[in-house]
Amino acid sequence: MLKEIFKNVFTKKKAIPFPEGFDVDPDQAVKVIDFQRKIDTIFHRSLRIRFVDAGSCNACEWEGTALMNPIYDIQRFGIDFVASPRHADLLLVSGPVTRQMELALRRTYAAMPEPKLVVACGDCAMNGGIYQGNYAVTDGVGNVIPVDGHIPGCPPTPTAILLGLSTIIDKFTK
Amino acid sequence: MEPILDKGQKRRDHLNEVYVEVDSADFRDVCHGLFIKQHALLRLMFATDEREKDGLFRIYVVFTVPGSDAFTIIVLPMKEDVPSFPSLTPMIPAAHWYEREICDLFGLVPEGHPDPRRLVFHEAFPANAHPLRKDWSISDAEKQEWGEGRAVKVPHPFLEVTGEGIVQIPVGPVHAGIIEPGHFRFSAIGETIFFLEPRLFYTHKGTEKQFEKLGFADGVKLAERVSGTSSFAHGAAYCMAVERMMGMEITEKAAAVRTLVLELERLYNHIGDMGNMCAGTALAVGYAKGAVIKERLMQLNVRLTGSRYLRGVNVVGGVTRDVYAQADDILKTLDWATKEYKDFMQLLTGSVSHMERITNTGRLSRDIARKLGVTGVAARASGLPDDIRKSHPHLLYDRLIFEAHTYEQGDVFARTMIRAEETECSISMIMALMESGYKGELAVPLKTAAPYASALGYAETPRGSLFYWVMADRDGRPLRVKLRSPSYCNWPAVPFAVHGNIVPDFPLCNKSFNLSYSGTDM
Ligand code: SF4
Repeated sequence: MLKEIFKNVFTKKKAIPFPEGFDVDPDQAVKVIDFQRKIDTIFHRSLRIRFVDAGSCNACEWEGTALMNPIYDIQRFGIDFVASPRHADLLLVSGPVTRQMELALRRTYAAMPEPKLVVACGDCAMNGGIYQGNYAVTDGVGNVIPVDGHIPGCPPTPTAILLGLSTIIDKFTK
Repeated sequence: MEPILDKGQKRRDHLNEVYVEVDSADFRDVCHGLFIKQHALLRLMFATDEREKDGLFRIYVVFTVPGSDAFTIIVLPMKEDVPSFPSLTPMIPAAHWYEREICDLFGLVPEGHPDPRRLVFHEAFPANAHPLRKDWSISDAEKQEWGEGRAVKVPHPFLEVTGEGIVQIPVGPVHAGIIEPGHFRFSAIGETIFFLEPRLFYTHKGTEKQFEKLGFADGVKLAERVSGTSSFAHGAAYCMAVERMMGMEITEKAAAVRTLVLELERLYNHIGDMGNMCAGTALAVGYAKGAVIKERLMQLNVRLTGSRYLRGVNVVGGVTRDVYAQADDILKTLDWATKEYKDFMQLLTGSVSHMERITNTGRLSRDIARKLGVTGVAARASGLPDDIRKSHPHLLYDRLIFEAHTYEQGDVFARTMIRAEETECSISMIMALMESGYKGELAVPLKTAAPYASALGYAETPRGSLFYWVMADRDGRPLRVKLRSPSYCNWPAVPFAVHGNIVPDFPLCNKSFNLSYSGTDM
């Protein structure tokens, strides 16, 4: 056991361990490791996300919650979901943005410090998805606040959210 | 029911649905009679705009008398020039949200309703917006008017509690964790909650209107997206309604697949919910354990159906996949889950801090639960044996041996234990289902709907009873799709359950009900 700890501390980490049950194919695994590197270097191991449900069917945000379970364990990447937009670097929005959530979303966005990124999570958030054109929705986050990237899927799986974030945060470096 | 209804009213039978048309003079008496004398449960209530047929709006009130499979549906026709109906709420509290909703969506006014405020629509919607009326539309100019500007101008009249030492605590709609949006207004004395007024419908997406646009076959996709964690039950109930309306019989095979997957859905939800409750009592290890079992069950969902939320299996007429082909995988995963689940339960019941916190917290009395029409886990935990699987056997439920579990306490503990018992019950039901073979095609071909045909569909979701009611128009397209999710009935009970508890226990109480905002707000 001691030997194991010793080994872990002093050898340079080549790959993050994938806990049992973390469903990734080898191709994705490379990307996840790349993601870890980005978080380390760009964010000094600390990316803070504020998740706002703007009218999702609740599958999208259960996938967000799943990211924090011991299998995906997003915290080990240095990512965490925060309670206040004032602490957040990135705003993850799900749902087609209903008319009745529009104001709350705008206010959340306004409360975030610069620089900030906005990511639309799920098909609904992208363009209204199956709710497109309805009287009660605004057809996507992009119609309410500026969006930096989309993660497709209905809902995107936890791994898809992880990899989607990886692509989008490149914008921070530009 | 005969004495009250036997006044020569127009009566129409369709499967286990009995439609009785009454006039507005009799409406109240008939409904009160059912509710009070026969202890009928108000299952759902809605309006339709059938003006294209005969120039009338109609109100439908669906009752079930305990012990009977029949649905008694009281129908009240209404002329366009007198758009109001006698409110049932003073005698039947369960009607209060339905009536306010009808008022918002159709502009039909419940006369004598004790709380005539708007329910579904917030300030962003103009007062004359009644989107489910067939002749309603919005211009772009009107749309511009909605939103931010209006929201500040007309604040919502919250019920106010005043008195010495009472403080108001407003919370939401955006909450600290990753949960759905809703606003809670606590009136507290020190830490104790004296009164709670939830304000929901932030996620109102116009779902029922969207159904009318999509057509019956495509509606399944939308039904599956009403409430993510009960996707399959929504799909199944919607399909059942449409199939019954079109006169389609699904095969034994399709029924077997639906029954099995419904139980799989219950399983991952119940275990996940019990884990989530641990987050409310700061039992981190319990939360983690629940989350791991849930995650593995959801990965099984992917392997079986291609979707973590069991979407894409239901179609009108049957199912798209034969999950029985992967029986080995199901058995293996369930084996693992059962073992883990036993550990998990031992951990919960062995944690004094957890058990103490959940006992006596968030009590809901049987009487209030009945009056408000509470359903599902919450109803059973308060001593009401309400289970659609048992009271209205459908799919293959009449072949399975199970009971509607009840507890008397009505507290968080009882709601946990109901879930625990049902988890075990679901596992044995799945095992039993896999013991026999089933005959038939996966799906039967789609039929067309007769003009103005209608039917009910239902299912027991992990949260409680779910209903769909569909009606076709002249051309066989959807005239009205009404959905009533279990959360819609249970939300009004939450303020009663948290009354007298401390504010920090609110998340725990709330989690023990585990209500869907999206399902409620539609
Ligand atoms: S994208 Fe799909 S899963 Fe996400 S909120 Fe929309 S309907 Fe639900």
